[in-house]
Amino acid sequence: MRITCPFCGERELGEFTYLGDAKPQRPVADAGEEAVYDYVYLRDNVAGVMSEHWYHSGGCRAWLKVTRNTLTHEISAVEPAAGAGAAKVGA
Amino acid sequence: MADFSWDVRSPLDRALVAGPYGAQGEAGVTLTEIRNFDLVQVMARRGKAGEMAKAAKTRFGVAAPDKPEAVGAADATLIWSGPDQFLVLSKGGKHTIEALGPIFAGSASLSDQSHARALISVSGEKARAMLAKLSSIDLHPDVFGVGAAAATSMDHTSVTLWRGADRGGQAAFNLLVFATFAESLWHTILDSAAEYGVTIGHSEEF
Ligand SMILES: [Zn+2]
Repeated sequence: MRITCPFCGERELGEFTYLGDAKPQRPVADAGEEAVYDYVYLRDNVAGVMSEHWYHSGGCRAWLKVTRNTLTHEISAVEPAAGAGAAKVGA
Repeated sequence: MADFSWDVRSPLDRALVAGPYGAQGEAGVTLTEIRNFDLVQVMARRGKAGEMAKAAKTRFGVAAPDKPEAVGAADATLIWSGPDQFLVLSKGGKHTIEALGPIFAGSASLSDQSHARALISVSGEKARAMLAKLSSIDLHPDVFGVGAAAATSMDHTSVTLWRGADRGGQAAFNLLVFATFAESLWHTILDSAAEYGVTIGHSEEF
């Protein structure tokens, strides 16, 4: 598997570290215990297209949001995660 | 209080043995450690990448790299190291962190890497063949010309790689590696280069 880093170009999997699902959003402060439990522990086991966080640890050290099909490993989109490369994200 | 006598030495001081190595005959690979350089990491503060670029242009007379490349200025090389950040490589104390501090005040954070990295220059007829064993980057001249750069990994070690000016009519590749990983990577490079025959040395000239 290869990932095309928006900053570095196409690179081998070994240069990247997987974080996981990019969907969960941090709940607001008063959202309650259920919402926080869900955010911290519960994950969908997606068979198909999934939005994921990857870290280009062996390269430019930017966090990336990768859209990947977990069945085929086909990657349909890669974009900088929020905060990665202020100029590209528009900060 | 004990007195300390700090002795500045290269991270490759022990590992580097100048002279021939590996296969006999004409060496296919030349390894030169470059010592005694100034290296400063420049990273834009949030939303200040434009200001940082302007400050760099004023200081160095060239645009700071905004994609993987190494840009030569009159007395420094600016090497892309990631989004909104680059390294300033120079010698002779002209662009130390003390000198650059006021230039980038407010637009970028600086960090002195002068003694935190080792700089290895790889050249010779077999340089690319040897590097191909360690790197997944396509180093073919059509793709990786003079000035091309990459933040990448070799042997699971993070390196900043760029192609400098040719040496003796052959492509020359520069490698910046963390000081504490330098010896490990050096041995891996020697193993990879041995079959081509190696000339090992060190220099204070880029
Ligand atoms: Zn990258």
